Amino acid sequence: MKCESCNKKLATVHLTEIVENEKKERHFCEDCAQNVTNHFPKAPSPSDILTSLINQVSPEIREMSKTTCPVCGLSYLEFRSQGRLGCPMDYNVFKKGLLPLIERMHGSSQHVGKVPPNAGAEIIKKNEMIQLRKELNEAVEKEDYERAAELRDKIYELSGNVEDGD
Amino acid sequence: MEIRDLTDKTGEWLRGTGKESDIVISSRIRLARNITGYPFLSRSNLKQRKEIESLLRNTIIESSIAQDISYVNLNNATSVDKLFLVERHLISKEHAAGEGERGVAFEKSETISLMINEEDHLRIQVIHSGFELNDTWETTDEIDNILGKRLNFAFSARFGYLTACPTNVGTGMRVSVMLHLPALGMTKHIEKVFNAVGKLGLVVRGLYGEGTKVSGDLYQISNQFALGKSEKEIISIIESVIPRITSYERMARKALVLESKDQLEDRIWRSYGMLKAARMITSEEILQLLSQVRMGVNIGLIDNIEIQTLNELFVLTLPGHLQKLQGCELDSTQRNIIRASYVRKRLEGL
Repeated sequence: MKCESCNKKLATVHLTEIVENEKKERHFCEDCAQNVTNHFPKAPSPSDILTSLINQVSPEIREMSKTTCPVCGLSYLEFRSQGRLGCPMDYNVFKKGLLPLIERMHGSSQHVGKVPPNAGAEIIKKNEMIQLRKELNEAVEKEDYERAAELRDKIYELSGNVEDGD
Repeated sequence: MEIRDLTDKTGEWLRGTGKESDIVISSRIRLARNITGYPFLSRSNLKQRKEIESLLRNTIIESSIAQDISYVNLNNATSVDKLFLVERHLISKEHAAGEGERGVAFEKSETISLMINEEDHLRIQVIHSGFELNDTWETTDEIDNILGKRLNFAFSARFGYLTACPTNVGTGMRVSVMLHLPALGMTKHIEKVFNAVGKLGLVVRGLYGEGTKVSGDLYQISNQFALGKSEKEIISIIESVIPRITSYERMARKALVLESKDQLEDRIWRSYGMLKAARMITSEEILQLLSQVRMGVNIGLIDNIEIQTLNELFVLTLPGHLQKLQGCELDSTQRNIIRASYVRKRLEGL
């Protein structure tokens, strides 16, 4: 059966209209059906499907997809397909996208371990504070108030010299 | 020192000494480090790779981390030499398969190995025999401090040590304990161990790390997370898990002795007989045979072989080692023949 509108293509859309109790069957090809009625939504293209999938799974990819590191030239999409970063600066440039990933991998996004011996005094102190606060929380959870008081004093002592971390 | 000089000896981590060494073969810690001012390796050009390699090589040699450091340039090493170093646990599979300027510095006892231009600019690795994580960490920490004073490691207060792969960021640390668990494997209880350690954020791998299959009942337990906990906290998590697994393995061995003593003894003695008599042994088969005999020594059934000998045979009979020993490339049939004769010789001398 050919499309009743263009009379060229095969009719693949079959509509049944009821106007004033009178039933009428109409047959269109896909293109003409779009024009005749707005009941028939256009089939999404493969790229539309992909985009909506990406948005569902990792909304950060769309947001970050245009970001490229000015230092090493790596784009966020390249990172997501290879899984490897290009330079230390990427951790800053891609921070928004990386944070949820890092949270998922490690269950945390704040370093509390070792600091390089030649890192600035500021960083060393900041890190010590983070470690102490973490220990304080744990002590409170365990209801070890003696240890908690000790830790609190240490934190007071240090905090005179350092700004709060982010 | 030439690679050839290593063929008739093994690293200290195979000595079978240290705590729980009947079950724990080795304790290993590695740290991933990158130097500032250079991109990570996937984004480095040839010139940068070369600069990183020579900067790290010179710093390592000058800072006298240990006595008797050897350096092997992997860019012009033969494929047999690279395989040999992988089998030795001095480099990783990825490091062997890589391209461009890269190398490894290791000290005579093979306890310390420093991989240059692996996935990161530098990987510091320390292995000790037995369940000795604290000693292993002390050595690792010390080397990291010595090098960290001379080099600027890429670091941020938020994310810690910055690495090419975000799975390593933070401490950059991977702790691996290698365990021999034949009874848990035999009784299929090993699955329970996998599930339990998975809940603690740990992972079980085969003999040669990521993506390698388990053979010879040898398993590596390691941490999956590297960020949000300090090095000592990560170590203490693993440290608390290992004794539970070893006592579980001991229980499984006792149960096997009680419930199916004859079958167990038959299996162990047959394996021993095969090792002493076979004329051809594949690399897969020998791991199974050595595993059975090792358990036989552990449960007191066989008393004329040292655990060290068996530990060493696990490594010395691998393809790269046999080819190095023979001084030429061998196909798999030739290797099977030489493997069998090598083991016979080692066991006959007892």
